[in-house]
Amino acid sequence: MKNSKGFTNWVACLCLAVATIFAMGALCPPQAHAQVPARFYWKTLSDANAVPVIFNSISGNTNPFDPAHTPTAGAELDATMVLGGYARTFSLFDRAAMAAILLPMGRISGDITVAGRAYSQSASGFGDPMIEFDINILGPKAQKNIPDLLRYQPGLSIDLLADLAFPIGEYDNKKPLNIGLNRWYGRVGLPIIWQLGPWVPGRRTTLEFLPALWLFGNNNDYVGQTLKTDPMFQVDGHLTRDLTERLWASLDGVWYYGGKATINGVSGDKLNNLGFGLTAGYQINDNLNLTVGYKSTVNDSGAHDVRMDSFTVSLVYGWHQLVEGMRRLKE
Amino acid sequence: MKPNGSIISCPLACRAAPIDGSLRRTRATIRKRANLSPLLMTLWVAVMVAVLAVPAITIAADAPRRPNIVIILADDLGYADMGSFGSEIKTPNLDSLAKDGVRFTNFYTHASCSPTRSMLLSGVDTHLNGLGNMNEMIAPNQRGVPGYEGNLNNRVVTLPQLLKDAGYHTYMVGKWHLGKQPDQIPAARGFERDFSLLDGGGSYWNMMNITAAVPKSLFTEDGRYLTKLPEDYYATKTYTDKLIGYIDANRGDGKPFFAYVAHQAPHDPYHLPREWRKRHDGEYDKGWDAVRQERLKRQVEMGITPAGTELAERMWFVPDPIVLAPASRYILGKKMELYAGMVENMDHHIGRLIEHLKKIGEYENTIFIFFGDNGAEGTDLFGMIAGSPGSRDNLFAAINWSQTHPNAWGDPESWVGYGPMWAQVSMTPFSQFKGWLAEGGIRNGLIVSGPAVQRQKGSINHGLMHVADLMPTLLEVAGATYPKTHEGREVPALMGKSLGPVLAGKADSVRTDQDYLAWEVFGNRAVRQGEWKLRWQIKPFGKGDWELFNLAADPAERKDLAAQHPDKVKAMLAVWESYVKANNVILPNRTLFDTMEKDMPQRVTVYPGFPPLIYQQQFVPPKDMLADPKP
Repeated sequence: MKNSKGFTNWVACLCLAVATIFAMGALCPPQAHAQVPARFYWKTLSDANAVPVIFNSISGNTNPFDPAHTPTAGAELDATMVLGGYARTFSLFDRAAMAAILLPMGRISGDITVAGRAYSQSASGFGDPMIEFDINILGPKAQKNIPDLLRYQPGLSIDLLADLAFPIGEYDNKKPLNIGLNRWYGRVGLPIIWQLGPWVPGRRTTLEFLPALWLFGNNNDYVGQTLKTDPMFQVDGHLTRDLTERLWASLDGVWYYGGKATINGVSGDKLNNLGFGLTAGYQINDNLNLTVGYKSTVNDSGAHDVRMDSFTVSLVYGWHQLVEGMRRLKE
Repeated sequence: MKPNGSIISCPLACRAAPIDGSLRRTRATIRKRANLSPLLMTLWVAVMVAVLAVPAITIAADAPRRPNIVIILADDLGYADMGSFGSEIKTPNLDSLAKDGVRFTNFYTHASCSPTRSMLLSGVDTHLNGLGNMNEMIAPNQRGVPGYEGNLNNRVVTLPQLLKDAGYHTYMVGKWHLGKQPDQIPAARGFERDFSLLDGGGSYWNMMNITAAVPKSLFTEDGRYLTKLPEDYYATKTYTDKLIGYIDANRGDGKPFFAYVAHQAPHDPYHLPREWRKRHDGEYDKGWDAVRQERLKRQVEMGITPAGTELAERMWFVPDPIVLAPASRYILGKKMELYAGMVENMDHHIGRLIEHLKKIGEYENTIFIFFGDNGAEGTDLFGMIAGSPGSRDNLFAAINWSQTHPNAWGDPESWVGYGPMWAQVSMTPFSQFKGWLAEGGIRNGLIVSGPAVQRQKGSINHGLMHVADLMPTLLEVAGATYPKTHEGREVPALMGKSLGPVLAGKADSVRTDQDYLAWEVFGNRAVRQGEWKLRWQIKPFGKGDWELFNLAADPAERKDLAAQHPDKVKAMLAVWESYVKANNVILPNRTLFDTMEKDMPQRVTVYPGFPPLIYQQQFVPPKDMLADPKP
């Protein structure tokens, strides 16, 4: 009945499969002030790699390089921060896992008061590198091959997440405002993805949560004083929706609770703050993803409330040996 | 025609019951006469015994209802796609009909859908009934010729017309594909109630059709063209719901019904509710060769196919799946997963119908006939229509049929067909598929169950049968006769033979070795006579010449015996010529196949294991001979 050359295009089948690899979710390590964008914990093929470059422009009354978000009454800070990093996915006990390392860098400036003394200063340089480990504990198994990848639909997925920052970033003990934090810190969390409806590019909808507990060591040399911070509970939430096959958007929310800071025995208030934002993501090609977003705290009129807003632009370049090989053959 | 309630002969279905009824009445009469003298009493009893001895057919006016008839036609279902024909696809409801009835392995349809439907409903050869060519393919030299109208013409009288005249309710749900004009639609051709898709295919979810020229599917309900579809429309479900409604609406009047359930499933596009899509997840990644071998093994074990049957060779343009990347196998296997889901979903809805008939007490009095309308579909219909970038239909597809992501397969606007490799699986063990006159295009599995079947339940019959046999069979069941004229016109003679003797267990076949079946469509032609088949197909699916096969020894049509048996070829060519003459067969002067040989890969013989290059394994040397390089 027809030209049978077209009965089945075997190569097209393979190309369809390969092209789907990075469309299924971008590798995109944590962004500024300890929030990750929506769709960060979507899974992709094991042994894939990604390099993120994340640009943030942030202002408010807290140091955005410090995930404790300790507010300083009356402070007006502006920061430009870039995070660079590397992430790799792998299979561990047949579960999808990811390890990443991030290095914040940039500058911050503004007026800040610590223990009654006002500082007007700026800081710049490299911050504390952070390593992250994530493993899925409920949901689809690790994607060891392309058929696994093509079958991936998160359904209800839950991961176990652990972050640890190393206090080796730029730090000046004479200044209250620093890029490095001079203390160990990290978090444990449970990233949750709840797929709503079909898993078809252009129609995907998810509800995502990341409840996490941040833990902070002491900074015993904080302008000559000791800074302690209580554990802080943070929940990130995202309602995401594809607008087209390559374009998506999300409504973002974050809640900070706890994290009371104590300086030389003088305690501040614990946090109880909300922030909301919007993010748009675009898959430029099989390797490159772009997101732009804005978020801002909302209940921030009190002197000790966290007040912060930020613009974020991220580019994440991902690759996999298989995709690169296919491209070379195609060329 | 014989109105309902008149003396009706129904030798297949109403064989035993009338005597019981008469006996009950006779006993009551005897009791009333009990005060008569012994002599008179003896005489009276003698008379009544004599009355009881009258053959059942002459007292059928008081007989119980004639059987209901349900023909379920699946669209593009393959011979080997039911569990009871060797498939791994789960069809418990169809299998239950097979278990209650008989499976027929040597049943022929036509190679494409509307020609088969036309013969089913008219009992007359396609070249006389209007489907000498499909509506979509009529050749320039066939235009305007009676028999080549492209719709079921008005020279034939239809099965539903005759059954309606004989007192049956007549219902149709599903795909019609035999004409769209008001005088061609189901209501005009004998169906009292109908919910019908008039087109040959389209979406299962809405009215979207395939081409820019015909963007909208046409539906009728009870003779009216629908402006929209019912809420929650899904073809297979809605057809079943509608039919159940029709049956229930007329239950009270005691008339039997004839239902023609022409499912659109499993014709592509494989539109399927989500919950039916993952029932075979990953099962077909192993590839078509393995599945075909498994099906053949089961067919042999069941007795569907004789032991020693060879599979038809894998078509020369289909690769051995072992050379494909896992991703390709996954994508192609997923198409088959969807197809299997389509079949299982259809089986589920057939099960709903069966259950309903059981619930209302009609199942035992219902004859079920189930088969596919032609071979499984191996052609990329969508690619053929919409595959050329820059074309009108490609643009139409971009707007309406572009849900191409595998996770969208089954949704509205997706179009998936499973391709030639899986069509060959569906047609195990035969060669080729829909559109062609190899066995893979025209042989189908037939199940018949119900009161007309006197053969052993669950048995298998290998007698030679044809779809056109069903009309005379069912007229006989219903006690109706085929007229010589209808509405003042002479009607063509029925081409088929009643399967009554076979169903009754009195014969294994209604055909002798001299009886023949013949086909022509798209210029391809074939004759079957006894165990021999003469076939002419355009290159490269055929040789562009007559080929001869012995189907008893070689059902997969692997060995062309024309050179060895020239006398047989000559004799069968004479049969062919007589068929041409009797049915006014006009070979088309233009077909879609005309450039096929040029466009397709050159045909070569496919030998298992060739070339060894792709089947070789990495050589692993003996461990004791391994060594590091010397410095």
